[in-house]
Amino acid sequence: MPLIIKDEYPERLFREDGKRLDGRAINELRPIKMEVGIIPNADGSAYLEWGNNKIFAAVYGPREVHPHHLSKPDKGILRVFYRMATFSVFDRKRPAPGRREKEISMIVSDCIEPLLFLELYPGTSFEVFIEVLDADGGTRCASTTIAALALADAGVPMKSLVSAVAVGKIDGKKVVDLSGIEDKAGEADLPIAITWYNEEISLLQFDGDMDLNDMNEFLDLAKDALKEIHQIQLNALKSKYIKLQEETLKEKEEKKGEK
Amino acid sequence: MMDVKRIISKIERDYIISNLKKEERIDDRGLWEYRKFQIESNVIASAEGSADVSLGKTRIITGLKYEVGEPFPDLPDEGVCTVMAELLPIASPLFERGPPDEQSIELARVVDRGIRHADCVQTKKLCIKQGVLVYILFVDMYVINYQGNLIDAGAVGALTTLISSQIPEGIWNEKTGEADWTGKYLTGKDIVNELPLAITYGKIEDIIFLDPNLSEELVSDGKISVSVTENKITSIQKSGAATFSIDEVKMLGKKSLEIGKKLRKDLNFLQYQSK
Repeated sequence: MPLIIKDEYPERLFREDGKRLDGRAINELRPIKMEVGIIPNADGSAYLEWGNNKIFAAVYGPREVHPHHLSKPDKGILRVFYRMATFSVFDRKRPAPGRREKEISMIVSDCIEPLLFLELYPGTSFEVFIEVLDADGGTRCASTTIAALALADAGVPMKSLVSAVAVGKIDGKKVVDLSGIEDKAGEADLPIAITWYNEEISLLQFDGDMDLNDMNEFLDLAKDALKEIHQIQLNALKSKYIKLQEETLKEKEEKKGEK
Repeated sequence: MMDVKRIISKIERDYIISNLKKEERIDDRGLWEYRKFQIESNVIASAEGSADVSLGKTRIITGLKYEVGEPFPDLPDEGVCTVMAELLPIASPLFERGPPDEQSIELARVVDRGIRHADCVQTKKLCIKQGVLVYILFVDMYVINYQGNLIDAGAVGALTTLISSQIPEGIWNEKTGEADWTGKYLTGKDIVNELPLAITYGKIEDIIFLDPNLSEELVSDGKISVSVTENKITSIQKSGAATFSIDEVKMLGKKSLEIGKKLRKDLNFLQYQSK
């Protein structure tokens, strides 16, 4: 459907001073904010702001499998549903899930599954719902990161967290964490996730072209960024309990005061 | 995790009802009292207008997108505004994924009708070229957490979204047969006139109360939603198995106008206008 303003990309993705269009250095992440326990009804939940991305994730489970024939007698199943809101992108997205959303759901699910002890939950399912309300590049990485956090918030036993980030090439330079414009106008895009219990790659896709040298550099670039993201995840989990602790301490003191 | 069940125990049901009979609520409200509204506008960068509305623990995020297209043949000089709602599975174990069910369609329709019949959106200002090109506005509501009374929260969300909107202003270009951007925006100031609100009541036995929370909604026999502008009732929806006497409906009509007036003043919608 036509719009009055067209979606156009700039010719150059670097400014005069060598910084990227949003003022970042090549190895700099966008501002990231994570919070857990944001949806009171869910067993576990997390909210993420990553640049202009705004994503909610919620976990329900272990619960009965519906439809029943999907259940497995020897282990639990993990189901991930990644969806985008109609208003999360420049052109309004159709409300029904498309092929892209189904593919990303599967990729995120495959990425997270090795972290869980599903054999402990036969006949049940864990459902992870990811809702992207505002999208600006890198939503599959952001979704993976936040889905792991929501599972941790739900108290699901996990080997470790998983963190994801996209690295890529824009105007011939390798950069970390591509924004929406950089993703669309750039030359290469490589989303990558690391499960921290074995420090191995559990999500990997690539579109573009690179030689072996490029690949090595991409992977090194990603590793530093992923460490930073992992730290933000851990802080988000801790801060929930620090907040709780402070609240209970306050209550105790108030009670003492009353006595 | 909060206690969210499809079925409320008999003990809890009796407790809710006995409280209501004493004109008390399980969350310490009076019978005609709203939970706290919290509104934030312009939360979604990709949308042309948006609002994050909480009513107690019920939370809905609404966004507006536009397209341009052909008008309806019977209204050649009027734009179109449609409302959609999705009960996201993140919001409650009661919600399932999949195509819209009855509850989400009712939510979208009741909010839509409240807006449509209230002279809220100035559809004539959404016309670029008569009979050829008009704006089509999509107001899409996403329920983030469900603790009862989605309709009132949704109506506030949709209204705030429209008020906070900024839509590129188009001008018809005879040569290209397309709309060009004037460089300016149509804002909530241009397109929103009346401020319709939906006021929902629950009914259990013969007790009627405002803004049912989730437990109250689950045990109530039915609900009635009355959409009001400053001086007029613009739409009514009775749902559930409850029946209302004629006197009760008369009383609720009057009450809704009063409550609407107060709420409109308290929430001060014009502060969300984009500048």
